[in-house]
Amino acid sequence: MRRLDPRYAWLRQLAAFVVVLAVWEAAGRAHMLNPLYAPSPSRVGAALVDLFSDGRIWPHLEATFSAALGGLALGIVVGIVLGVVAALVPFIAELLEPVMTVLNAIPRVILAPLFVIWLGIGLASKVALAFILVAVLIFFTVFTGIRQVDRRLIERVVTLGGDRWALVRHVYLPSVASWVLGNLKIAVGFAFTGACVGEFVAATEGLGYLLSFAQSTFNAALMFALILLILAVVLVIFGLAGRLEKHLLRWN
Amino acid sequence: MGEGSFVSLVGPSGSGKSSLLRAVIGLQQPLSGTVETDLARSQVGILFQDDALLPWKTARDNVALGLTFNGMERRTALAEADAWLERLDLAGFGDRFPRRLSGGQRKRVALAQVLAMKPRLLLMDEPFASLDAIVRARVVKDVVALVERESISVLLVTHDLEEALSLSDEVYLLSQGPRARITEHYPVPIPRPRDPVHSRTHPAFAPLYERLWADLSREVDHRAEAA
Repeated sequence: MRRLDPRYAWLRQLAAFVVVLAVWEAAGRAHMLNPLYAPSPSRVGAALVDLFSDGRIWPHLEATFSAALGGLALGIVVGIVLGVVAALVPFIAELLEPVMTVLNAIPRVILAPLFVIWLGIGLASKVALAFILVAVLIFFTVFTGIRQVDRRLIERVVTLGGDRWALVRHVYLPSVASWVLGNLKIAVGFAFTGACVGEFVAATEGLGYLLSFAQSTFNAALMFALILLILAVVLVIFGLAGRLEKHLLRWN
Repeated sequence: MGEGSFVSLVGPSGSGKSSLLRAVIGLQQPLSGTVETDLARSQVGILFQDDALLPWKTARDNVALGLTFNGMERRTALAEADAWLERLDLAGFGDRFPRRLSGGQRKRVALAQVLAMKPRLLLMDEPFASLDAIVRARVVKDVVALVERESISVLLVTHDLEEALSLSDEVYLLSQGPRARITEHYPVPIPRPRDPVHSRTHPAFAPLYERLWADLSREVDHRAEAA
């Protein structure tokens, strides 16, 4: 078999994607697909253009971004703090670990209706859902990470005359930062999942809300357009997170 | 231990050689007895088998670390670190992260890190075991030259009898643990300055090696029978 040049993998993937789209479009135009279920790519494209041309998408995008990024930031901060405290204080670990383990085991999105009752259908309930998804992930990352800090690094710093603060600054903080950054992409995905599911459950704006609207009006073209949009948004954020990770973990 | 002397500890595994070094530098408490030294904590340096450099710091920052812990201003510490890297043949590698250095280079950075602290006593726990033969010979040669020049006392723990004899002024044999103790003492009459490779051809080397080897084997057999 002839070996494929790996440099042009993207080109082959793109070509295959275009072929799939073309077949799909042709099948749609030949009335072989019911547009109610599988609208052709051109209709999806038109729906997407529509969303932006009259500008009504912006407040929805803003709502979803606010919820996701707010939950992400809060979740990272709280996850790190709880993880560090639990790793250093055995009593806190005893109390927190079972709770976190349960929260980790259940699909946390089932908490969405509860957050709506507690916090209303506004932004707060979406932030809360994104937050709980991210915080549990980060908690375990930091909690298990700190207990696995390389003992040799600690001994190295101690034998060079470093005090407790030196250990925190030169060993623990960089270790924690590297684990959190290593999980940043997953956390971003979780944050957007939380925001969109929250909006799906009960909201007045946001991409998730638009999705549920498209569902209730059986607007498949709009739904596809929204799925594409969410995909694009998450890919952009992934790219940014990846660059940040690459820069800050350049020693790795 | 006299000032500037090079002393090696050899002995079977589990005789507590490493524990002894860790007790000297204060990483662990001796089970009994005390460590007596007229040196301050910062005058004692230690080098382990796996040199744990901080992976997120460049070679230069790693070397400067101990200096800043002891109150040196960062800028001065970095200049000092560069000087030490140069002394250890690592000029131009200061900006590299440990991951981008070879095993031998990492060992040299770890050495620079410890020597930059100007220790009066250097403890080494199988420091060269992870290096391949050629690299090892070169690093060992540089270490010997540096400790001779700065008249640093060295306490070396090793499994390698040749290494112990070719580098040391005195070799101590520890008995098999538990409750290991020093059983023999061998002064090595090879003159300084030494070349670690050529000191193996000194007429005193072979007989000493034979004796040390026989005593160590007896120590191991002795315990095997008792068990």
